[in-house]
This record gives sequence, C-alpha cells and structure tokens, in this order.
Amino acid sequence: MSVSTSTPLTDSAASGRQPLTLRTLIGRIGFGGTILIILLILNIWFNPQRFAPVAWGTVIGLAAPLIGAALASSPSILSGRGGLDISIGPLMGFINVIIVVFVIGKAGLSGPVPVIAASMAIGIAFGAFNGFLVTILRIQPIVATLGTFLILGGLTTTLVPSPSGTIPDWLRTMSGGWSILPLVAIGAIWLALSRLPYIGLLMACGSDDRAAYTSGVNVTLVRFLAYVLGGLFAGFAALSLTALIGSADPNIGANYTLLAISAVALGGISLAGGRGGPVNAVTGAAAIFLLQSLLVYFNVSTFILQMAYGTILVIAVSATQIERWLFSRGDRS
Amino acid sequence: MITRIGAEFKRNRLYGALVMMVILHLIGIALIDGYGSIFTLRSMLVLSALLAVASVGQTLVIILGGIDLSIPFVVGVANVVAAQLYGDGMDFALVFVIVSLLAMGIGAINGLISAGLGVHPLIVTLGVGTVALGAVQQWTGGFPSGSAPQFISDFVSIGGTLGPLPFPGLVPAVFVLIALVVLVLRRTTFGRQLYALGSNPSAARYALIRPVFTWTVTFAISGFFSALAGILLLGFSGSAYAGVGEPYLFQTIAAVVIGGTALVGGSGSYVGTAIGAAVLIEVNTLLIGLGFNPSAVQAGLGLGILVLVSLYGRERSVAQDI
Repeated sequence: MSVSTSTPLTDSAASGRQPLTLRTLIGRIGFGGTILIILLILNIWFNPQRFAPVAWGTVIGLAAPLIGAALASSPSILSGRGGLDISIGPLMGFINVIIVVFVIGKAGLSGPVPVIAASMAIGIAFGAFNGFLVTILRIQPIVATLGTFLILGGLTTTLVPSPSGTIPDWLRTMSGGWSILPLVAIGAIWLALSRLPYIGLLMACGSDDRAAYTSGVNVTLVRFLAYVLGGLFAGFAALSLTALIGSADPNIGANYTLLAISAVALGGISLAGGRGGPVNAVTGAAAIFLLQSLLVYFNVSTFILQMAYGTILVIAVSATQIERWLFSRGDRS
Repeated sequence: MITRIGAEFKRNRLYGALVMMVILHLIGIALIDGYGSIFTLRSMLVLSALLAVASVGQTLVIILGGIDLSIPFVVGVANVVAAQLYGDGMDFALVFVIVSLLAMGIGAINGLISAGLGVHPLIVTLGVGTVALGAVQQWTGGFPSGSAPQFISDFVSIGGTLGPLPFPGLVPAVFVLIALVVLVLRRTTFGRQLYALGSNPSAARYALIRPVFTWTVTFAISGFFSALAGILLLGFSGSAYAGVGEPYLFQTIAAVVIGGTALVGGSGSYVGTAIGAAVLIEVNTLLIGLGFNPSAVQAGLGLGILVLVSLYGRERSVAQDI
C-alpha cells in the first residue's frame, strides 16, 4: 500500500498511537478511493458517452445532492458521542419545497440572492434547532434528529402535498454546467473553518470529549455549531436537489438520510467521531452514486441494486476495520 | 417535594413513561369522544403490542450498547417469505420454523460482523438488512403473494376475543412476553451478561463474558422477534408487503428511549420499552382523534417524542461525566 513509504519515519519519530492513526487515515482514504476508482473505470468503460468531459456537468449534477447530503451529515458524526443527524434528508426536502413553492412561486423572488439566502437561512435554523436539542436539552442525537425528521417530513407534505412548481433558468444551470457550485461552496466553508481553530476543536471533541472539556474546550458550543454547519450544508445540498428535479417534490428528501450516512461510513469517517473529513464524505457518496449509475446502465432490478449497495456497504466498513486490525497487530507484536 | 419527585424520575425514568401514558390517556378521554371506549382501547392495545414485539430485540441490543436498524427489513423479509411459503401450501409450523431460522441467521450475521470486527452496528445492520430484503424481493419479483393462516389473523385482530375476554390473544400474550423478557434479563446469566457487557466491555471480558458470542446471540434474538412481528403483521393486514416494517425503523428506537433506556448501553428495561410503545401509540391515536391529517400527525409525533424525551430522558452533560 501507499502507506509504506511514510510509516518508518513516523514510527521512529512518534511513539504510541500516532503512527497508527496516520496509517489508518491514509489506509482509509486509500480504501474508499480504491472502490471509487474501480467504479469510475467501470462506468467510463461501459458508458463512455455519459462520462465524456462535455457531460461532466450533468454527471456531477446527478451526484451533487447525495454528495451534499453526505457532507452535511459529516460534522455531527465527527462531533462524537453518538452524534448523528438523520434529519438531513427531510431538511433538504423541506428547503426544496419552501424555495420552489413559496420563495420562487408565491413571493415571486426568483433571483439568486433571495433563493440562496433562504436555503442557507432555513438550513441554519433547523441545524440550530437540532444543536439545541442535542447539546442544551441533551437528547440523544439519533432520537433528537428523529423528532426533527418527523416534524420536517410532516410539515413538507402538509404544505405541498404533491410535486408542483418550476424553477428559474439560473437554478437549472446548477444541474448542468454549474453543478459543481454548491459543492464548491461547502468545500470553501470547510476549508476556511479548518484554517480557524474550529475543525481542530471538532476533532478533539469527537475523539475524546472529556479530555477536550478538561482542556478548556467549550464542548457544548463546538457540538452545537457542528449541527448548525450540517444544516447550512443541507441548504446547499437542497439547491443541488432542486436544480436536479426542477420542481418541488415533498417525497424525495427522506430517501437521502440513510444513503448519506452510508456514504459517510463508506468513505471512512468513523461513526464514533473524531476521525475523517470532507474528502471521505465525497469519496463515499461518489462511490455510491457510481455504483447506482453502473447498475442502472446494466438495467438490473432495483432489488439487485439494493443488494449490491448493502453488500458493498458492509464489506467496505468491515474491510477498513480488518485493515486496521492487521495494522494494530503488527504494531503490538 | 417537586425536586424529590424530579430526583425519583431521574433515578428511574420508567416512571416518567408510565405517568406520560396515563396523562396522555386522560387528555384523550377529556378531548375526544369515545377515546375511553373499549374499541379504542382495544385497537391501541393491539397496535402497542405489535410494536412491543418488534421492540424486544431493539431493547436487548441497546442494553448491549448496540443498535439494530435491520428490524424493519427483517420484518419485511418474514412477512413476505411467510406469506409466499404458506401460499404455496406449506404447513404453517414448518413455515414458522424456516422464517425464524432465516431471521435469526440474518441477526447472527449482524452481531458477528459488528462484534467480531468491531464495526459500528448501525451501518452493519443497515447493510445486511438491505441485502436480505433485496434478495427476498428479487425472489418474489416485487409482487409477493399469499396470506396468513386464519388463526394468526384471529390472534391479532382488533375485533377478536379470547374466550370471555374482550381482547384478541395477542394482548395477554404480550404481557406474558414482558414477564419472560424481564425474567431473562434479571434472573439469568445471559441477562446479567448483557448489562455487564453494555456498561463496561473491557471489564466484562475479565468476567469471562464472550463479547462476540453474546452479540451474535442477542442480534439473532432480535432477528427472531422481528420475524415474529412480521408474521403477526401478516395476520393483521391480511396480505404480504415488503415495506410493512418501515415505520418500525425508528419507532422501535423511540419506544426504547421513551421507555427510559439510554442508548449508551448497560441499563434499561423491557417494561419501559413496552410502556414506551404504548406512549407512542397514545400520541398517534390522540393526534388522529383530534382530526389531524396523516402528515400533521407525523409532525406532531415528532414534536411529541422531543417533548417527552426532554422531560425525563436527558443525558448527562460532559461536566458530570468526568
């Protein structure tokens, strides 16, 4: 593996756990990346037209909602202590319905500024609501976000019972040529935050919140902001989703929840928190998308698609652990 | 006085759920005509009982420190396979054995992979469940046929009776089930091992508890009760449907948490879960009775879960944990 060149150095330089985490980190990106590359090659091999450079915008547009959902699920998972936001999918669906039917439709504000601002604001608001439930009320994350999941799902279908509405042309380009934009926005925010102390503090809380707390980190605030960040990212993901489906659809959002969490795990972010980053989330989501796209190309039934997706998910998370297990054996003997 | 009651609730969250159940029922009687009638009570008991059966596994697995997202899939697998095999003319006893073994096998795989490889059970159970249900649907081509034998339908029917009692057999059966699960958890070696492993896995190993074995057996038990729920639901709805378990994905977890079990493992009781299941059904029935449409009921249920859990199901803060 690619690890071998860097490990002797770190082995002698640092003691204890340090080389192990570095190894596993690289190993993980390597594993998720391996699946991704294999699937990419297979896709290009069997379906060259769809994956030709001129069509990249469209392909990214198809994958963007899932990639965005995976990125939105990451901060809460990284924050540790069972951190998990299952309301990301319904939140995307809710934002989709609000901006298409109310902001663009009823209020007639179809320009980029009000639409994007509304997406971000709703995302942040519900992210903050989840953060409040998890950190201030201290409800277990999966139950807290289940509450939000049900509230958002119910609100969405109450407001807009069936698919309706249209979107302006500028938004439509985000499923074609400019499909990368919402993802770039998420990436830029993450990059900016990693220049600030925030991402470091998030990782500290995720790996050992008690140690972080005793070191003076405001664990509550860091965790709260993780959910806000997830909500904000869901706002961008909702723009991709809206651009892709071109209307308001109350039934589509919830499907993204489990897929996004699977993508995060597949890409190698530890569900125990504290390990992984945006690259892992994108890798996992892209791999799931490419798997779907390959199986759809071969016209297999949705049931076979489900089986393949489940199998790859289990093998991927197990393989990472096997790899790590082997590494740690080697270190201790 | 108030603080003493509060402290009592903190010590035993189970009372919280019990009080909630009674309060919700009284609100229902006050606001809705016929809420206290025997028919409403009977339908709520049957629905709670079905949810309680599906939640046995979730309770045990959460005490162990895990989580089982495969329950809705296994419920669907059992529902479809049982209908299909019975529809093909197989003897129902044999159908039951086959479906149970299949479900326990799926559960055992969940536990084996999760504990054996140290992978988070959330993802493992989700993946394994998806594969199992996908395979079964591929087998039936997505259009399952067949039905349940009449005695199962009678056993779960809301209008059913058991001799002179105005309830179908399922309701007293679930009370027996509660007694059995409590007995196993409190009085058997296996039960005590679950709590030990859930509260401190490394200490449990020194007490000669085999984690992989215990996880495998517990997830297999969860599979069995999911299958049982799937077969009962087949009798309840009359025809097979692969998605029948979908509401149980999060409802089982919600029932466990409302019942006062913390998701961190090492504590919890099945009595609490059964009450939690009843609370969920009470909230649902109350909202439907107040004339909300299904979407608003869903939103109200979400809000209800949040309010209930924030009243008595809060976690400790980091500061208290050092």
